Amino acid sequence: MSTYVITVATFIAIQAIVAYGLNIIVGYAGQISLGHAAFFGIGAYSAAVLSTKAGLSFWSALPLVLLICGIFGALLGLPSLRVREDFLAITTIGINFIVEAVFLYVPFFGGAMGLGGIPKVVFFGMRLKGGGLLALCLVCLALVILLCRWFTKSWAGLACRAVAADESAASSSGISPVRFKLLAFVLGTVIAGLGGSLYAHRMGFITPADFAFPVSTMILSIIVLGGMGTLWGPLLGAVILGALPEIFRPIADYRMLLYGALLLLMVRFQPGGLLGDASVLRSILARMKGGGGRDR
Amino acid sequence: MTGDGAILSVRGLSKRFGGLQAVDRVSFDLMRGEILGLLGPNGAGKTTCFNMISGVHRPTEGTIHFDGRRTDGLEPHRMAELGVGRTFQIVRPFASMTVAENVMTALGRSNYRGIHPLFRRWDTKPCRDGAMELLERVGLTSYAARNAGQLPLGDHRRLEIARALALAPKLLLLDESFSGLRHEEVARMEGLIRSLSDSGISILLIEHNMKVAMSLSQRVVVLDHGRKLAEGSPEAVAADPEVIEAYLGKGGIVDAAGGV
Amino acid sequence: MDLFLEQLFNGLAIGAIYALITLGLALIYGIFGVLHVAHAGVYTIGAYIGYGVYAATGNLALAFAVSALLCALTGVAIERFIYVPLMKYPPYVPLISSIALFMATEEFCRLVAGPYVLSFSTNLPFPAFSFSGIRFSSNLTGVYVIAGAIFFFLWILTTKTETGLALRATSMDAPIASSLGINGALAVDTAFALGSAIAAVAGILVGIYYNEVHPDMGAMPAYKSLALIVVGGLGSVEGAVAASLLLGVAETLLIGFAAIPLPRDALAFIAMIFVLMWRPTGLFGARS
Repeated sequence: MSTYVITVATFIAIQAIVAYGLNIIVGYAGQISLGHAAFFGIGAYSAAVLSTKAGLSFWSALPLVLLICGIFGALLGLPSLRVREDFLAITTIGINFIVEAVFLYVPFFGGAMGLGGIPKVVFFGMRLKGGGLLALCLVCLALVILLCRWFTKSWAGLACRAVAADESAASSSGISPVRFKLLAFVLGTVIAGLGGSLYAHRMGFITPADFAFPVSTMILSIIVLGGMGTLWGPLLGAVILGALPEIFRPIADYRMLLYGALLLLMVRFQPGGLLGDASVLRSILARMKGGGGRDR
Repeated sequence: MTGDGAILSVRGLSKRFGGLQAVDRVSFDLMRGEILGLLGPNGAGKTTCFNMISGVHRPTEGTIHFDGRRTDGLEPHRMAELGVGRTFQIVRPFASMTVAENVMTALGRSNYRGIHPLFRRWDTKPCRDGAMELLERVGLTSYAARNAGQLPLGDHRRLEIARALALAPKLLLLDESFSGLRHEEVARMEGLIRSLSDSGISILLIEHNMKVAMSLSQRVVVLDHGRKLAEGSPEAVAADPEVIEAYLGKGGIVDAAGGV
Repeated sequence: MDLFLEQLFNGLAIGAIYALITLGLALIYGIFGVLHVAHAGVYTIGAYIGYGVYAATGNLALAFAVSALLCALTGVAIERFIYVPLMKYPPYVPLISSIALFMATEEFCRLVAGPYVLSFSTNLPFPAFSFSGIRFSSNLTGVYVIAGAIFFFLWILTTKTETGLALRATSMDAPIASSLGINGALAVDTAFALGSAIAAVAGILVGIYYNEVHPDMGAMPAYKSLALIVVGGLGSVEGAVAASLLLGVAETLLIGFAAIPLPRDALAFIAMIFVLMWRPTGLFGARS
């Protein structure tokens, strides 16, 4: 594999991990979040600070990074989840701008120049570069997908689906909406933190702009494109959105326009996403299998 | 009536929304095993009463005791855990789930506390069997795998009852379970509610349709403008001039006493 | 003291411009229930059209008129062709389409007009003067007069005319309004046309006031105005205007004058989160 393909594949894997986190919040628990990049950023900055300033390795820092993301997820999620839909969308946008501003204005985080000198991941004495890091990212992605599958099969997953479908009916069925919305939010932000940590160690240096609001939009686009609340949607979406800009490289000037137009066409004509219920792709797949195939 | 004492006691219950006094010092008891009808014209405060009993609203004043403990101010999911099942006037199925999944969701009530929920699977045989049993009780087995959002209204109402029954309730709150039903569905629903009562569940029902309410309930409480207007046997209440006036005065249901 | 007053008046002007963008968003949200992020795209297009017409003809009034008209049409087109077909889906669907549309608009402007900052160097035809030591440039006066005229026009329109009655009735309860014979679709069209025309005016005013027109000029207003409509109470136009004026003054005074080391652009969101915690319906009451 060429270095170029490995680089692209690594970024796709990291974006897919972060998108799986968002899918738990938006797809499973039905809580719109437009600030997911904030938690991706909190993960990346914690990993960067812990490895450059505290001298921890990727592995020993990782539990702390996930814990920090979980705590921030709970702290920022609790007040946000009291409000619904439109308010929640705006509040999460606000969280993204505020977190970005903190990275930008607090000197500890290096300002606009960001933090650099983040060491490579070391695995049994081996410094992971290129293919090695890609393998690590793919293993993490596989674990995250397994975690999501497990989640949908647990009572917590069912409770989240009920809350997403109808909060009042869920609470009169013995489900505390706040509890399960928060659970989904924290789980989603912890997964984003994992993605952030991988990103920081892959890049070596990070800046606030890497976690700005457009990144949240892109992560949301991934799950909208792939199919919200499905198991394979985030992966499919990440592959398509990650590969498209590379394919369109010859017409790079039109890239963002095409990207916006594609997203617009997608929600306009297939709001459930490529793998959502009643999507064209799903019905083709079902026909090929010769029967209904729903892999919830 | 199998009763020994009240399962639900409401005392001096009041609710204000801004300047509107929706419920004003209402008191009543619901005996164990009883079917109590909560009647009254539109805007009388019936649903607000329901919402306070089921925990959706916190009362401005007054107390609620359920099954020997004070419950006013507890959240809806706590009331569900304690054994209060309810249906909604405007039906609220989990539209994105199948009919069976709707019931299984409520069957899991004991799993939603602690850290268990993350570690236990919900789609197990005992759970599926439990759901089918309840669906059979309300007559929806043939729709078990159907998407709940696509059912007709009458089936939605029975699905909500099955979902409430999954909580193994001691008290069932039925909010206008007859509204919008076709004639033959009304008879079926009446039979279902009687059978639930026979199995020992206490039932509080809000009803607009005086005829079915009067024939089902052992006692009725009539509300008007948030206050309790009358309480007693259906016959006595139907003959009460104040009740007749409240209904007729509103240009409401002319055959208020028709069912008795 | 003079510096303080000068900053105050500058802040008020910035607030007035925010208000011109935000009130369209509030109007549209109130009546249609969509968070119209692409409104900032309309504002950017408005600035470019205004710049283009002025560069070609040298007639500023014509630039305002053409830009407002074309943007009103754009707004209605966005409503009809993008939002209306999506209203049957959950609210995040139109919201995402709006964000996508906004991105596409920014890119469109970048491709058509180039990625550089165009300088819109002209003065609004209003007198410059000094009042007890405070200087009012002609542009500052212009912003006050034009914004004031638009607020006054809107106030008359919404409180004194049939159209305004239809707008208010539809935003309170669309089904009831339509059962009273009010044409809801027409009211929504009106809101989009009006809001977009005013956004175009705001775009040109910003272009002239800061002497720059560029593809990214909508980025901050797009999201800041969302925070402002929350602070003002979702859907309340008066609230949105008041919140915008307050923000303009607060940004200028706190960061410019008192030099508090706070990120200027995050202030709106910080205010929003405080308001949400303290009073979830917004400062000026709202829909329940």
